[in-house]
Amino acid sequence: MTPAVSFTKVSRHFGTVRAVDAVDLEIQPGEFFAMLGPSGSGKTTCLRLIAGFEQPTAGHIRIFGEEAQGVPPYRRNVNTVFQDYALFPHLNVLDNVAYGLMVRGIGRAERHKAAEEALALVRLPGFGARKPSQLSGGQRQRVALARALINRPKVLLLDEPLGALDLKLRESMQEELKILQTSLGITFVFVTHDQGEALSMADRVAVFNEGRIMQVGTPQDIYQKPRSRFVADFVGSSNVLPPDFVQRYAGQRRWGSLRPESIRVARQAAGEGVQARVVALNYLGSATRLSLDAGGLRLHATVPAGAALPEPGEHVALTFNREQLHLMEEGA
Amino acid sequence: MTAATITSPPANPAILPARGGILSSLSDLFWRRPKFLLLLMLLPPLLWLGIVYLGALLALLLQSFFSIDEFSGMINREFTLKTYSELLLPSNIDIILRTVTMAALVTVASAVIAFPIAYYAARYARGKWKALFYLGVMLPLWSSYLVKVYAWKLILAKEGILGWLLEKLHLTWLLDAWLSLPIVGGNSLSVSFTGTFIVFVYVWLPFMILPIQAALERVPVSLTEASGDLGASPGQTFRHVVFPLALPGIVAGSIFTFSLTLGDYIIPQIIGTSRLFIGQAVYAHQGTAGNIPLAAAFTVVPIVIMGFYLWAAKRMGAFDAL
Repeated sequence: MTPAVSFTKVSRHFGTVRAVDAVDLEIQPGEFFAMLGPSGSGKTTCLRLIAGFEQPTAGHIRIFGEEAQGVPPYRRNVNTVFQDYALFPHLNVLDNVAYGLMVRGIGRAERHKAAEEALALVRLPGFGARKPSQLSGGQRQRVALARALINRPKVLLLDEPLGALDLKLRESMQEELKILQTSLGITFVFVTHDQGEALSMADRVAVFNEGRIMQVGTPQDIYQKPRSRFVADFVGSSNVLPPDFVQRYAGQRRWGSLRPESIRVARQAAGEGVQARVVALNYLGSATRLSLDAGGLRLHATVPAGAALPEPGEHVALTFNREQLHLMEEGA
Repeated sequence: MTAATITSPPANPAILPARGGILSSLSDLFWRRPKFLLLLMLLPPLLWLGIVYLGALLALLLQSFFSIDEFSGMINREFTLKTYSELLLPSNIDIILRTVTMAALVTVASAVIAFPIAYYAARYARGKWKALFYLGVMLPLWSSYLVKVYAWKLILAKEGILGWLLEKLHLTWLLDAWLSLPIVGGNSLSVSFTGTFIVFVYVWLPFMILPIQAALERVPVSLTEASGDLGASPGQTFRHVVFPLALPGIVAGSIFTFSLTLGDYIIPQIIGTSRLFIGQAVYAHQGTAGNIPLAAAFTVVPIVIMGFYLWAAKRMGAFDAL
């Protein structure tokens, strides 16, 4: 199957800054693909390379098998939902949504009808006459989505589209985006620095750092089997264990990772397991997160709600199943 | 509790006492009555605007309804429309049309020249290039306007710099061909409407560049990217996004160039033909001729034209994107 987007050794350098450095990547048609990474990791530049706003310094990008080298953005059947939404302030919502059809020379009546349908799709029917400045952040986000979908793009690019929304709205938009993507069958490429968002929405996730992809995999892969310390660190709250520690339990001198929920906390000190002191407790609602000091090693463990909690300063014993300890690749 | 007794606690009341002094009580007063402060700040400029500026304008308007006694040269202070009917004499209509046409041409040319400069400054110039841009645009404004106009006279004169340059380029025939044209031509550029036009455009250009640049500066790059992303060619992006969003800046700039050209009397006097512009007519009538009413009536013309211009600009939606 031809990949929707493929990168072959793609680099984008700005002077001495290697924003994207020899990236290989394949995004499958119909996939919900997330690019995850801290700011400056190259994920947004990758998105802009697909959109055509940036040209690669080296390497090749293919969109559904077609070489994208030298093809301007307006000839790519790829549309973007911008981080700041980029709605045209001088046009009303309907004309914003219909813009992609207008520049293709489609008549007013027809394009307005299509725009109304697109607005209904993002659950904003009847908002056409308003100006973008009269909308809330969440509504603007939906208008930007409708505008990007009106051309029926082969690939939809989303640049941190939920970043500016409050938590409640973000969660409902995540759900809606996922449903929309499934029903439209369009390939979504989604850039985010929020690991929770990436894991909960994407079919596959690429973790970026310093212009390179550290790992590509399903959310389960990324979460449970981080290949390197960076991925383990960045994707959630995993405990990163140094080789000395891992050797004692797994017999191999390698970096390891252990999920906080895999650690059992026993309140009697001097019991079996790793001796640790409770530093702090964070109440999270469904669970309580303990910060622990195990002989200088800082660990986190979560205790489900309802279980007995130790006091700060108390000495506890930590145990875990051997198979829960994930070994990272050598040299990671 | 362990005894961490603080010996003789320093006064730390919940409400601090007034500091005393006139400034302090004034601060308190302004805080309690913010509108009073506003009034105090606005009063001087309002008085200035109201009395000096609007008052002068009203006095002017009033003058235009007086008339001059043709025999004695005395001003007859009775309400009449006689002066306005004089304004409609063919020779005076000529002056008005000439000035308005010149102002319109200067405005269009300024906008066309200013736009790319402003676009470059807003979109691409960073750091020292931006500083250089501001310096380049503002520098001509630092020197005297008269000096600049006379400098242009040297450039445009028959044996002037431009003529010399064209001669070196073997393009004298082009200049001669242009100068032989009716209306725009003349003996040399410095005594033709073309010369007047060039100098007007030069002198008012900064007033067009800066508002356009300010308007473009407020257009996020993501808007032009979004337009291209949605399939618009660069030309379409310009027509549908960049131009409409820059329009308030263009209108603001054109208000400057248009009204400044309408009222100027120095440039056409130094560089141009002997045919008058509105400003020169005002100057002549209030000076040697002593016909203050007609001078006032002439002055009302640009005001009325600018009023119509702003009304039309508003109707066209030029201020919608503000």
